[in-house]
Amino acid sequence: MSLAEVAGFRARLPRGEGPWAWLAAGSVALSLLMLGGLLTLIAVRGLGHFWPASVSLVELDDGQLLAGRAVRELPLATGQGRERLYFTGNRDIDGHVWQWVAVDRIVASEQPRELVVLERVRYGDFIGRLVDVRPAGSHVQGVGGGEVAWAALQARLAAVDALRDERDDLQRNVIQPLVRQLEKDPGDTAARRGLAVANDRIRGLQDAMQAEVVVLQSVDGRRLVLTLAEVLRAWRPNAMSLPEKMGAWVQGVWRFLSEGPRVANTAGGVWPAIFGTVLMVLLMSVLVTPFGVLAAVYLNEVAHQGHLTHWVRIAVRNLAGVPSIVYGVFGLGVFVYGIGGSIDEWFFSDQLPSPTFGTGGLLWASLTLALLTLPVVIVATEEGLARIPDHQREGALALGATRLEMLTRVVLPMAVPAMLTGVILAIARAAGEVAPLMLVGVAKLAPQVPVDGEFPFLHLDRKFMHLGYHVYDTAFHGDDIQAAMPMVYATALLLVLVVLVLNLTAIFLRHYLRARHGALSRH
Amino acid sequence: MIKLFPVSSSTQSPRRHLFDRLATGLIAAGGIGVILAVLAIGAFLAVEVIPALFSGVLDKERITLSLTPLAWGTLKAAFWALVFAIPMALGAAIHSAVYMSSRLRSRIKPTLELMEALPGVVIGFVAGLVLAPWVERHLAGAFALLLVMPLGILLAGGLRWSLSSSMRKRLPLAWAGLWLVPWLAVLGLLALEVSPWLEAWLFGGDLRGWLDTELGIDYASRNALIVGLAMGFAVMPSVYALAEDALSGVPTSLGEGAQAMGATRWQSLWKVVLPAAAPGVFAAVMIGAGRAVGETMIVLMASGNTALMSLSPLEGMRSMAAGIAIEMPEAVPGSDAYRLLILAALLLFLFTFLVNTLAELVRSRLRRRYRRLGDRS
Repeated sequence: MSLAEVAGFRARLPRGEGPWAWLAAGSVALSLLMLGGLLTLIAVRGLGHFWPASVSLVELDDGQLLAGRAVRELPLATGQGRERLYFTGNRDIDGHVWQWVAVDRIVASEQPRELVVLERVRYGDFIGRLVDVRPAGSHVQGVGGGEVAWAALQARLAAVDALRDERDDLQRNVIQPLVRQLEKDPGDTAARRGLAVANDRIRGLQDAMQAEVVVLQSVDGRRLVLTLAEVLRAWRPNAMSLPEKMGAWVQGVWRFLSEGPRVANTAGGVWPAIFGTVLMVLLMSVLVTPFGVLAAVYLNEVAHQGHLTHWVRIAVRNLAGVPSIVYGVFGLGVFVYGIGGSIDEWFFSDQLPSPTFGTGGLLWASLTLALLTLPVVIVATEEGLARIPDHQREGALALGATRLEMLTRVVLPMAVPAMLTGVILAIARAAGEVAPLMLVGVAKLAPQVPVDGEFPFLHLDRKFMHLGYHVYDTAFHGDDIQAAMPMVYATALLLVLVVLVLNLTAIFLRHYLRARHGALSRH
Repeated sequence: MIKLFPVSSSTQSPRRHLFDRLATGLIAAGGIGVILAVLAIGAFLAVEVIPALFSGVLDKERITLSLTPLAWGTLKAAFWALVFAIPMALGAAIHSAVYMSSRLRSRIKPTLELMEALPGVVIGFVAGLVLAPWVERHLAGAFALLLVMPLGILLAGGLRWSLSSSMRKRLPLAWAGLWLVPWLAVLGLLALEVSPWLEAWLFGGDLRGWLDTELGIDYASRNALIVGLAMGFAVMPSVYALAEDALSGVPTSLGEGAQAMGATRWQSLWKVVLPAAAPGVFAAVMIGAGRAVGETMIVLMASGNTALMSLSPLEGMRSMAAGIAIEMPEAVPGSDAYRLLILAALLLFLFTFLVNTLAELVRSRLRRRYRRLGDRS
């Protein structure tokens, strides 16, 4: 073959790879697109929920007025025109919070500054106008409407907030312990007196909170009188500047993270769920780390490397692929009904038939998840141990170390990043796992967090809330799914963030580990 | 006598060794204990169920009656998940093992690893409460998307061919995984815009009604296709990771040899590399099947949980895992219902354990084969 022929051949060479190569490339693009779409959807909807969106005052062609937040727009079922969904609030006077409006029926739509949105203890949001703030029971004009009323409302709400905090504090730190003390010893007169004093104080606070009322008017002219105790927050989205809105957004996010849920989990925050998830995961990692490392050290350093060890290794690895619900069944059968039932019979027989440990709880959930994540820790630690070059071990032994000394002074310190990787992966898996928890102790709503100031401080037998289960339960067992959706999005976003951050940490750790041991084995 | 060495070394040495032996024994005992505890899962399930099976407490009729729909649902969900996951995962694995630039590959692999870590409950929520109602409203749009995606990818390949060579260099196949993303996004939006007209033109504006009257297919909002898509999304990264390992583990000399003989990269992959890696790819698919069978939350949230036995992908189903999650908390321990659920759990356990063991065996044999092939070259 002459040179020219070769050159000619080369010129023809860049043939296409054919359609299949493109389809293969497309599947990478498609999965990235799906992943990006999913994350964007959750992030936008989850974070957008806290944005104080503007409220429109809409006049329809038949003269009807409504005020609300436009949520979305769809083509009408008939194919002609579009319709728009407004969140109008006012469940107590309208009986509904959503309203579909055909777009061509809208005569005028504006955003007046004076429209207020109130977040209330009951019935969700109110959207309308502020008329007056005055003492309860009187029918004389109070401060009047307009800016004066708005300023007065803000000041009073701050005062009521302080009262509410004081009341909750009393309830939690004085009354509840006294009540429990009285349950144990009904003859305790000092406690009884203390309880009476505290109850009086709470009644006083309650009265102070209800001393004033706010008079409201919906845009179609119906009046509503609320005591200030029923109002949590008030804002005028149309009068807020951009920095103010951003401030409100940050506050909203903070409330979501720090408060408990209200109105059947459709409003408020997820603090108990965050607390429950973190506590359960911490307990689990305390349980799983020593046992996982122990098993890995045994398999890799102590056991005779024969057929049996090989099979055991395969079996342990495969347990990571066993469905999580099967672990849940095991936890329910062995921990809850088996061990928990026995503990109840031996130690808490006076409280039977109501179970103490014989029902799902924090301890059993952490144990089940520890079992579920054991293979992850064992496999990761073993991988790290196997990466340590043998000459490190031999060097230690040659210098006169015993096997234990070699393990504790040389091998284990070098395997620490691998163990950490394993534990972090285990935590990430446990934080996102919901199915087994449904069997062994998660609760829809747990008013008491499992840690408090009462002996033994950490209540392993209590049920707890969990972020993942919160997503499932709020999304599927609520009355008004439409109203709960923003909360579900926000919770899902939080869960995804937690899991992603944990996984990224594990990935970086593993990267560091590979770089380090790559350098080590080259020596 | 002059002591040359400190006494301690001679007297402490036996104690040190005794201590060492003791500690090693403890480690061994602890390790074995932990491993036994982990393996106890299978034993527990078997002990709870098998006596009841043999003593006839659970008669066969009852078992078949209550477990068949669940088994059917499980297999149906897993099947549709694999229908979505396998082409995507294998395509992505092939692309990243053969064509992708190594810089992009080192970024894509951890990204897909993160995708694997997304909690099932979040995917299930999005599938059941966002995707399912959306697809129900935009049925034609959803089918158009399914059609447009592969065609759009091929179109991109064809269009690139007709570009000038400098433009073509700017859009290399090695980075196609990235630059196809905006292209597909634009095409997808276009398809959604056009689909209402297409629906009006072809199906009289009501595809759902058309399906019902013309084909007799009942469309349930939460159906097997939605579950399959969501679960395929969840299963795909693990299949991808294992298949990619198998493909890129093939000694490079094999593929290079084929290319030196004039094969394109696709030909060398199809005729040489893929057959060599076939067992590994098969193992990856099996592990994906194991995960799809056991996934609970996605099926629970996206399937409607009706224990139907229908072939139609547009109807719902109920899987074993979801059935356990729903019914187990209410079942009285020791009752027949409780035993049946444990039997379901045992079946799940056995299935996944066997499938995974098989896959693991295949993979370890494959690794040995690669080592041999690598030696010869």
